[in-house]
Formats: sequence, structure tokens, C-alpha cells
Amino acid sequence: MYAIQGISGLSSRLREITGREVIDMNRLMEVIQFLYQQRELAKRGPDYAVDDFGFDAQWTESFLPLFNLMYRDYWRVETTGIENVPAAGRALLVSNHAGVLPWDGTMIKTAIFAEHPHPRHVRALVASLFMGMPMLSWFLRRTGQTVGHPDDTRRLLERDELVLVFPEGVKGTGKPFKDRYRLRRFGRGGFVSTAIRAGAPIIPVSVIGSEEIYPMIGDASPVARMFGLPYFPVTPTWPWLGMFGMIPLPSKWRIQFHPAVHTESHPPKAADDQNLVMTLSDEVRNTIQKGIYDNLKLRRGVFV
Amino acid sequence: MSPALVRSFPRRVLITGVSNPLGAEVARRLSTQVPALFGCDVADPVSAIEEMDFVHADTRQSVIGKLVRQLHIDTVVHMAVTVDSAGEHRAEHETNVIGTMNVLAGCAGPSSPVKRLVVKSSQAVYGAKPADPSFLTEEVAGPDRQAYGLKRDLLEMEQLAQEFSLRTPGCRVTVLRLGFRVSEGTTLGRYLSLPLVPTFAGFDPRLQLLHEDDAAEAIVRGALDGHEGVFNVAADGIVLLSQAIGIMGGTPVPILPPYGRWLGRMALRATGIDLPGHLADVLTYGSVADCSRLASTYGWKPAFNTRAVMDSLARGKDVELIEAPSPPQEYELQVYLQRRRRLAKNGHAPASLMAQR
Repeated sequence: MYAIQGISGLSSRLREITGREVIDMNRLMEVIQFLYQQRELAKRGPDYAVDDFGFDAQWTESFLPLFNLMYRDYWRVETTGIENVPAAGRALLVSNHAGVLPWDGTMIKTAIFAEHPHPRHVRALVASLFMGMPMLSWFLRRTGQTVGHPDDTRRLLERDELVLVFPEGVKGTGKPFKDRYRLRRFGRGGFVSTAIRAGAPIIPVSVIGSEEIYPMIGDASPVARMFGLPYFPVTPTWPWLGMFGMIPLPSKWRIQFHPAVHTESHPPKAADDQNLVMTLSDEVRNTIQKGIYDNLKLRRGVFV
Repeated sequence: MSPALVRSFPRRVLITGVSNPLGAEVARRLSTQVPALFGCDVADPVSAIEEMDFVHADTRQSVIGKLVRQLHIDTVVHMAVTVDSAGEHRAEHETNVIGTMNVLAGCAGPSSPVKRLVVKSSQAVYGAKPADPSFLTEEVAGPDRQAYGLKRDLLEMEQLAQEFSLRTPGCRVTVLRLGFRVSEGTTLGRYLSLPLVPTFAGFDPRLQLLHEDDAAEAIVRGALDGHEGVFNVAADGIVLLSQAIGIMGGTPVPILPPYGRWLGRMALRATGIDLPGHLADVLTYGSVADCSRLASTYGWKPAFNTRAVMDSLARGKDVELIEAPSPPQEYELQVYLQRRRRLAKNGHAPASLMAQR
């Protein structure tokens, strides 16, 4: 407590001297609040509820101050089209995927919690490979993610959840820096059939900025094979600087939510119509690609 | 028992592998429901039930065929399937695969009186992999070239049961995949009861359990209702491994290496727990079954949810729910009473029995 008072005093004095905010007390308090919440959560013992997927909403929300800090101050995310995300009911968010680690998923989740008039949790689908990794699998499941299996998607949509899917998968996150902002193949359009079957609208999402957080200049595939990974990224900082190499670069981000593609207007049996599925899949892909180009034009520079 | 409670079918039931707490509980529940109950196992039964006739018989030998024909068995409850023995994989294989093969061979053929067969399987048949869907439906388990250990045996066993059901249209086959149980005797129960529980570093899987009572009830319902097919039987809801440990009052210690299962299992052996390979996978990736087929077909679902199963283990109440092994004298007494009752039924005077002895 005394430490906070001391810093607070120092902050106001620095503000008087320099005439601007040197130590931002509000931001500092957010970090303190985060630490305090973590301590409170540890006191819950085993008496807390998780849903059948292993999602702990209370615990997830305790991380929001931290993610908000990254969202607002580090990557300065500008979000448009948030009104296209429904306040209730099922919907499938479909986004481009980039940047080695799935920070884009985290920021989409934060965007909806920070900007939407009715904040709600987004349940993202993760490549099964990450579900087999220590720490990551634990964190992902606990914060509401589940394995990217059509059956899981169906179950989440039937529970009227907001589900986020990256049809590019690891082909998107593991693409070299020179191919940035070029969408990969959207799987086999499986996400469209699942959406049609569940009667959920598809909301395309374009994210820019995620490509520059870890510019992947190389892929050490022998190392990747050794650890059973799909790729082993080599960036200007990783693995040369050890753990410091995992710090993402502060690029400028933009997220755009596009108007929904109303797949629910098709009958469920249309999900077996491969022609329709591929047409819709291409439509979603084109919307996202166009959104990426539009937003790149709106961005003044990579880091500003 | 009142005659009104006794059903017309099944009339004569044989339980294989009856000499364990679950077997005893199933026998106890069935004894009030069926007119004639027989049990067989290699070991002595853990508790003597007056209404059940016990015979020492090893399913690994081909004796079941003779038994079912001589006793005119119409329903076989095959429980001689071991899912919780670490290390002795060969013996497990013999019991689960060869044993089941013998039981099925015994029940097959035109001369067989068996009309209904219940096979106890386990949720372990799914294994546990990170790529699995979050909820395992009955169709997920299929031929798997990479399967090993118990999973491979159970897959093979279920395959045999399915082939039997196709070849023998006169016999209804029910396969029950029981969830993981955590009573005192089970490895998982002992593991969770440790004061400091070594866990696989970086993993906190979802656990789904099954109460002993519900396991017994499911098997009894399988024998009485006889709905054909494969069914998952597991409790509603999940707990995280760390929660389960917390409920038991222990502390999770994430020190087991996340890669290299055998290394972790070796380290666990130091704490006196010989974790079977399939449980090591479950404690890393978790395994949750979808039991909607059971609920819709049987109109029944386990009474305890996973949380309640953990709570009841923590309270140590499971000891009372399952009959404690009775002392040998009591067993002898029960056997004597049984013989006396049967002889009285056949018209012999009890005195003649006394004279024989």
C-alpha cells in the first residue's frame, strides 16, 4: 500500500515537472488489480465450476486487464464493425491466422470483451497439436478453447456460443514473412458445412498487424520434426535471445468484423452440397482478403 | 424376496468375474430380480450371497460352454475383464481377450441356451489423445493400428463381441463402456488420495468418473433390459484433475515430465502407485465420454455426477456402499445355508444333510 502511495506521489510530481504522463497510475492499478485477482482466485480452492469443455470463465476474466493492456497500449488495436457480432445466440467467427503464436485469437476475444455493448466470451478452436503441448493445452482449455474437431464446433454452436475458427490452421501461422497477408487455403470448407448444419451465421473477420509480431524469416524443419511441431520459427530474435525472443513486436493492429454471411437460410441438408459449401467458403475467404487489403491501406505504417 | 419382483426374463443368469467388489454388488442387486443366479471366478467371492451359486471357473479355460448348457443359463453377464492392473499386461491380455473369446465360444452354437449377453468394457477403449474430440461418442472407438496395451485388448475384445452378435442373431449383446472409477481399491482412487500428487507438468486434464453404485446399476440394467449395442456409461459433468486433488485435500505437484510416459510412470512407482499406461494418458489429455445414447435408450443416467463421485470418495463413504469382504467363517456359513436351502427345496430333510457331514 505504501509502495503504491509512493509511486502515486512520484507520478504526480513527474507530471508537474515534465508536463505529461510519465507513470500512468491507471495502467499501473490495472496490473495491481490483475495480481490481486490472481491471489483471490487461488483462494477458491477446488470449489469452482468449469463447463464440460474445461472452461473457467472467472479465471479467464481475471486475465482481461492484462490482455486489455496489450490490446490498447501495446498493439493499439482499432476495431471496426463490432455491431456485426450478435449480442446473443450462435455465430461462427472466421478469421485469417498469422503470427506463429495465436495472439490474433486472443486479441479478437479481447476486442469483443472490450468493445461490444454485450461482452461475451469467444470460444476458439485450436489445432489438436497445441492441445498436446504442456502449459499451452492447459491454458487454452481453461480459457475456453477447444480442439478443432467438427463435433466440438457443433456442440459449441448448439449451446449458442460465439465460436472462432481459423480455417487456415497452422498453414497460416507458419507461413514465411514474405507471404504475409496472403491467405492460405481455407481447409476443405468444413467450417461452412458445420455452420449450415448448426444454423449459425458466419461472420468473417480480418486481422492485420498479427503478421509482423514475429517476422518468420526461416523455418528450422529438422528441429520441428524432432519436437513433433509443424514448424520451428526462426525470427530476428528467436531463438537467438532465448525467452526474450518470445516477446512479440509492437506492430499496429486493426480488426474488422464483416457483415454476417447468412448460412442459416440454407436447410441443414445443404451441408452435404459440396458445391455450395465451396462457394460459400470462397465468398468468406474473399471477404476476409478484401478486408485485409482495405485495412492495410488505412494503416499508416507497420508500427505507427 | 417377493415373487412379484422376479421378472419372467432373464431367469437364469451367470456372472463371470464375480469375485470383486463390483461383481459382488451386481450379484447382490440381481439376486432380488432373477429366480436363479450363478457366479463364477478364479478367486473366492468377496462376499457370500445366499441366492447365488458360486463355482470356481476360469474363463481362460473353455469351461463356460459346459457351464451354460448344464445350468441352462439364458443370460451371461461377462465381467471377467480387468482394466486396472498395472505391469501384468500378459495376464490382462489373457483374461480380456482369450477369456472373452472362450466365453463367446461357450455362448455360441445352436445348442446354446444363452439369449442375452452383457459385456463389461471400459472407457479406456478410447485411449486419450490430444486430437480426440472433447466428447467421445460410441463411434469414435474404431480399429487403431497404433493402439497398445489395454486399449488394443479392449478393442479386440469388443470386436469379438460384435462378431459374435452378428453370427448369433438369437442372442442380444450389450457392451457397456464403464467410466473410470475411483473407489479405494482402484489405482486412480489411490493416486488421487496421495497427500502430494505428482502430476504431468503443464497438464490439467478434465476427468470424468463413474460411481461404483452407478457402475453396478448400469450392468444390472444391461442384464435386465438388454438393449442391444455399445453404450458409454459415465457420470455427468467433469472436474479438472487439480480440482479432484483439491477435493481430496491433496496438493498437485507438477513434476512428472510431460514427454516420455514411461519416465513419469517410473517416477510414480516411487510413491507406491503403479499407474497403468492408459491412465497416464488420461491424466495427461483427459477423456470425457458422451453418454446421451445410454440416456435415450435406457431412460436412465448415473445418479452421481463427477463432482459427487469425488465428494463421496473424499468423505470415505464408498467403503459403506460396497459390501466389505466377509470373514471366511461367514462365507462357509453362507455356503452351508445355501446347500441346506436347496436340499430342502428338493425334498430332503435337513437332518440328512447333517448326517452326511
